Amino acid sequence: MIKDITIGQYFPGNSVVHKLDPRIKIVLTVFMIAELFVCKNFYSLALACSFSVFAVLISKISIRLIMKGMKSIAIIIVFTSLLQIFYNDKGTVLLEWWKIKITSSGLCTSAFMIVRIMALIFVSSLLTYTTSPTALTDGIERLLSPLNYIKIPVHTLAMMMTIALRFIPTLIDEIEKITDSQKARGADLETGGLVQRAKALVPVFVPLFVNSFRRAYELAFAMECRCYTGGEGRTRMKKFKLCARDYLSLVIVVLVLAGIIVLNYFFKAVI
Amino acid sequence: MNILEIKNISYSYSKNTPFEIKALDNVNLSIKKGSLTAVIGHTGSGKSTLIKMFNALLVPDFGSVLLNGEDINKDKLTQHNVRFKVGLCFQYPEYQLFEETVYKDIAYGPKNMKLSESEIDSRIRNIASFVGITPDMLKKSPFDLSGGEKRRVAIAGVMAMQPEVLVLDEPAAGLDPRGKNTILNLIKDYRVKTGATVIIVSHSMEDAADIADDIVVMNKGSVALHGDADEVFSHAGELVEMGLNVPCVTNIMLSLKKAGYDVNTNIYTMESARKELCRFVREGGAIG
Repeated sequence: MIKDITIGQYFPGNSVVHKLDPRIKIVLTVFMIAELFVCKNFYSLALACSFSVFAVLISKISIRLIMKGMKSIAIIIVFTSLLQIFYNDKGTVLLEWWKIKITSSGLCTSAFMIVRIMALIFVSSLLTYTTSPTALTDGIERLLSPLNYIKIPVHTLAMMMTIALRFIPTLIDEIEKITDSQKARGADLETGGLVQRAKALVPVFVPLFVNSFRRAYELAFAMECRCYTGGEGRTRMKKFKLCARDYLSLVIVVLVLAGIIVLNYFFKAVI
Repeated sequence: MNILEIKNISYSYSKNTPFEIKALDNVNLSIKKGSLTAVIGHTGSGKSTLIKMFNALLVPDFGSVLLNGEDINKDKLTQHNVRFKVGLCFQYPEYQLFEETVYKDIAYGPKNMKLSESEIDSRIRNIASFVGITPDMLKKSPFDLSGGEKRRVAIAGVMAMQPEVLVLDEPAAGLDPRGKNTILNLIKDYRVKTGATVIIVSHSMEDAADIADDIVVMNKGSVALHGDADEVFSHAGELVEMGLNVPCVTNIMLSLKKAGYDVNTNIYTMESARKELCRFVREGGAIG
């Protein structure tokens, strides 16, 4: 069950999207998210969405896989769209019952929201699907490196992030192992009220924390043994170097943004 | 009589994804009541998946698991209660300790069985003295014990439920030779004392030959060989192909035989090898 969550996973590949410089990929993702928020009508939204789908297609990540990842947040999507339907009293009234009014404009915004949230997930999962966690944190570190001038320890933060990401699968494995062994001793984790269930988790979380602390000590020792002293004077084996495809992709995304702004200007806004 | 019967079970992980792996493929197996069975196999052969089927932690995609002739996956309640009848102790069980004291940790299983306080207390004291945990150790935090002691506490936690079938996954992994002997002897004694059926998963051919009556060899998700040590280790060639081996002493005897010394090769422990070599020398063993 816990393993079915695919958001944030990395799927190695060899496509153009995989090969883009991670710094550029982060910037592109920010741009594409911004595009989705700039959209004001269905025409511009269609342009932004088709561009996202195009990006997914050339990355050769299966759309079904991303859709599967969306299942886990389906409830959030449904909830936001329902709110949009009920909190809008403009436009022609289609249905009225007690204090609830459903209007045409409400339905429009709601549909708009669903598409926009789904496209957001599309775009942001594309980043993690096609970028290895190390490349991602390296990219973030380089992008944030100007913050070093105002005494923010960017390297340390990036290293913490790398380690955290690295240990997520380990922790998931460990939760499953400990749950299995406590279940084998008759632990009942599936029935009972909220308090009872929370209490039943103690035998899982105590060993999990104890083991995590032990592992953290071991990792710290191992890093010190390899002379890790933090970011100062540390060099890189792989230097990032921007090439033609990076500049080209940036130009395309900016053009799409321009297109969206033009479409916004020419057609009536929905929200 | 068979206490546990596995009928045509198959199981896959990550079903319906590109990562689908078939872990068990049409496995059939019967475990005799009161026997000590060793399950051996290469990493990824399906041993660990198989033992999780024994107490309904995993439910087979196809096939059934019968305990005393009754399907253990019949309903939720049976699935829950089978865990007290088939005690499962995982690899490195010391990492599952969580209570403030050793006493409370051993009591976790019996408490889940809803036994009376006095029954729990007497079971804990019995099992503690059996595995060599002193009464003062019972009051200590399990995190203050040594590795070998933690392992014994964890195993005691499963034994205290007094299961009909005790399943241990690599009970001696990562222990020094003395710790390993202590654990293996404990398991032998436990079986003699309680008459329970014991199943152990092991990587070591020596241990399997030494303590088990029956050996099950798993390969690529199915049972490749099943029988007593004589039968299983007579397939030395096949075992090597599966990435396994015969015990070290058996290899020595096989080499001796090959070099022309007429010794028996159905030798799996140091002790029987010593006897066989003494016999051979006494009978004026010459190159045959």
